[in-house]
Amino acid sequence: MSTGEKFFHFAEFLTDRLNPILVKETRQALKSRQFIVTFMLLLTIAWLISVFGTMWFGPAIEYGSAGRAFFVAYFYVIGFATLFVVPFGAFRSMLNERDQNTYELLSISTLSPRQIVSGKLLSTVVQVFIYYSAIAPFIAFTSLLQGFDLPMVVLFLSLALAWSVFVSMIALMLSTLSDNKQWQAMNTIGMIALLLWQMAMAFGLSAAALSETIPFDSEEFWWAIGSSLLGAGSYFLLAQQIAVSRLTFESDNRSSGVRIICTLQFWLVWSGVLAYGCWYGAADVEDEAVVAFASVASLHWLLAGLFFSTESDHISRRVRRSVPRSGLFRVLVAPWMPGGRRGLLLLTIHLLALVVIGRLPFWQEWVHNTVTAIALYVFIYVSFGAAVGRWGQAITPEFRSAHARVLAILMAALAMIAPYLPPAFGFVRWPVGYSLAEVTNPVRTLDVVSSSSSGRSGIYGGVGMVDEIMLVLGGVAGLALLLNLPAMFKGVMELASYQHPAVRASATRPSELSDGEEPDAALPV
Amino acid sequence: MIEPGFRAANVDQRGVPALELRHLHRFFGRLKAVDDVSFKAWPGQVMGFIGPNGAGKTTSMRILATLDTPTAGDAFVCGYSVVDDPDKVRRFLGFMPDSFGRYANMNVVEYLDFYARAYGLRDAQRRDAIEHVLVFTELRKLAEKPINTLSKGMSQRLGLGRCLIHDPQVMVLDEPAAGLDPRARVELRELIRLLATEMKKTVLISSHILTELGEICDSAAIIEAGQILAYGTVEEIQQRQQDNDDELKTARALNIRIAAESEIEHATDRLEKWLLEQPMVGQVQCSTGRAIFEFEGGDVEQKQLLQNLLTAGHPVIEFHGKSKSLEDAFMSITKGITQ
Repeated sequence: MSTGEKFFHFAEFLTDRLNPILVKETRQALKSRQFIVTFMLLLTIAWLISVFGTMWFGPAIEYGSAGRAFFVAYFYVIGFATLFVVPFGAFRSMLNERDQNTYELLSISTLSPRQIVSGKLLSTVVQVFIYYSAIAPFIAFTSLLQGFDLPMVVLFLSLALAWSVFVSMIALMLSTLSDNKQWQAMNTIGMIALLLWQMAMAFGLSAAALSETIPFDSEEFWWAIGSSLLGAGSYFLLAQQIAVSRLTFESDNRSSGVRIICTLQFWLVWSGVLAYGCWYGAADVEDEAVVAFASVASLHWLLAGLFFSTESDHISRRVRRSVPRSGLFRVLVAPWMPGGRRGLLLLTIHLLALVVIGRLPFWQEWVHNTVTAIALYVFIYVSFGAAVGRWGQAITPEFRSAHARVLAILMAALAMIAPYLPPAFGFVRWPVGYSLAEVTNPVRTLDVVSSSSSGRSGIYGGVGMVDEIMLVLGGVAGLALLLNLPAMFKGVMELASYQHPAVRASATRPSELSDGEEPDAALPV
Repeated sequence: MIEPGFRAANVDQRGVPALELRHLHRFFGRLKAVDDVSFKAWPGQVMGFIGPNGAGKTTSMRILATLDTPTAGDAFVCGYSVVDDPDKVRRFLGFMPDSFGRYANMNVVEYLDFYARAYGLRDAQRRDAIEHVLVFTELRKLAEKPINTLSKGMSQRLGLGRCLIHDPQVMVLDEPAAGLDPRARVELRELIRLLATEMKKTVLISSHILTELGEICDSAAIIEAGQILAYGTVEEIQQRQQDNDDELKTARALNIRIAAESEIEHATDRLEKWLLEQPMVGQVQCSTGRAIFEFEGGDVEQKQLLQNLLTAGHPVIEFHGKSKSLEDAFMSITKGITQ
């Protein structure tokens, strides 16, 4: 066997072990007009930058810091390819699978949704590396110039790669959200806008960072890089899990993965905050930072909770087969199992945890009240929406989860604007400052709570009303809890009481045997 | 509904059915696309799935292919439930939808290679599977051709090849002959026949070209408005429909051919006059040496008619009933209900 043949066989052996989607996507991408045009454009522009840049600097190229200027120019060129072209290609790739009816054939192969998503993502990484390889000779050229800083170049190219992968993952997730053509068209416009915005942001941040000396020896710099990567990593996993869930077969478990990642994200953030407090002392943790983290966590759970708590409560036979055998363990994992009732329980547990964290004695009183109020608002709006959704589903089976979500959003919007309708129609006079009737509006109320508690004067006034506000919010939240408690209990109990079917002596098909049981020899397996 | 219980030739009905729909329901809001559909197909069987547009064929097939889930009931492929074990079902099933997308920037062999990888085939196993499919579908010469430049007939062959790449036991083909020219249709029909006879696959095939289905299917299920109206071997369906017509005293068509060494025209005229005089005979149509007419009697009366024909001295060399084709059966079973 010649060396060429050996190499061919080795390459084939290697590609056999790779994700099939990666192999297909890479083959297709390398033949595509988009790739060839981008690659040639990249080379041409980089070459033009080199030629005209050299002419521009003239003899000064030997003495000034031309290396950094050249790198910035090349970085923008590669940035366009990796932060716009590649993520948009990933987005279009998944949309095309659906538009051109190729996804159905893919979904009935033995590839799992995770393999499909990972394959698409890995192919974007391959493309980024190919674009990097195109720009590498030009960056090597800048290394001959003054002002070239290798650690900075490595840092920027690594961060650009990581950011490109992250944005590609978000693009893939967004492409799985809808099968509807109109939504897909809107999605595409939104995607282009999002990509342009994030590219502009990335370029702006890069320009700012490149104009300064990177503090590689600063501990805070690495804290910032580490926590940013950790945060982005957690959202990367969430986006990946959402994409996988969207592609998962209907009778399979689409919900638990997303719930687990949301839980991990929540505890990652607060473990980080508490670890930082333990490491540097609680006094070093800014109260504003705690409220900011709590606000982000609440928004996060508002969105996630809306989806979790309005899911269909039906547990498919396939999911039932995967529930743990231990009754106690089933009760413990119930909030992470699919179903709206269990979803609401998961939300309640996390909001309760948020209230407990927000009321730790390290923080000031205004933090206690603000975090509690935020958590109560999320609970009230989501749980009333969930209750109405359950009633809707009880009335007619045609009332779906999507209807429940829209109704919950409309109810919340209506509650927020309700205090302003009478004065808007001239029935009463506009109130001066904050009035307790505005308690349904979280924006104004939270400002009052935070400013009154801290003794500051809020934008809307209302000083001294914190106790009344907390009382009203607590009362309404208690009512919402009473409304939903039986449903949450039922959600746990229906899972706890589920009995795994015993092996049927009369089983004639593999599907009629219980888990782990070998089918009869006569069955075609 | 015609009751099942048929037994087709060359079909192994022991063990688990290769394919089974059990009280399958699929509702879209108030529309009952599939309403309590049950049937079985056994290894080596080619089953026609016949029905007008909107009858529920494609919906049932998509459920079998694990692309949709039933509202109630279940479907099994080689004993595995499409609801409980879709992953396992996919290993045993090849599905060819009525229209399937084609990837850009990909040739025939790359397309097959991708699906071979997607079904977990590796190394020599993958190469052998691709080679086998290229030979079977006669696409060897087009292996390097971009798939979006293939003709409709060649695309259908490629689609069939894709279904076969992982050597499934059951193949579900939704309107595979739609849009094909007559030659491509005949060639595809031959390929499907080979699937059952040589490769021992179970094939469920839907088509509107019933004459062709009648030739390749050994059994059929007729569906309308989401419900199965008839199910059995093709002969059983045709015979039962004939029996139904007999019970209803519906006229049956009869053919006569006569032979006369000379004066054939005169013999034909004499036969026509004679037939018109006979009781229970109507709609007589004669051409040189042939007569087709409708006869309202049963088997006893038909026997008597033949005896009288011979006694009257007509030189009869053929006398037979015109059997109902699958198309005739379909037309008389279905009522043209659309949903």
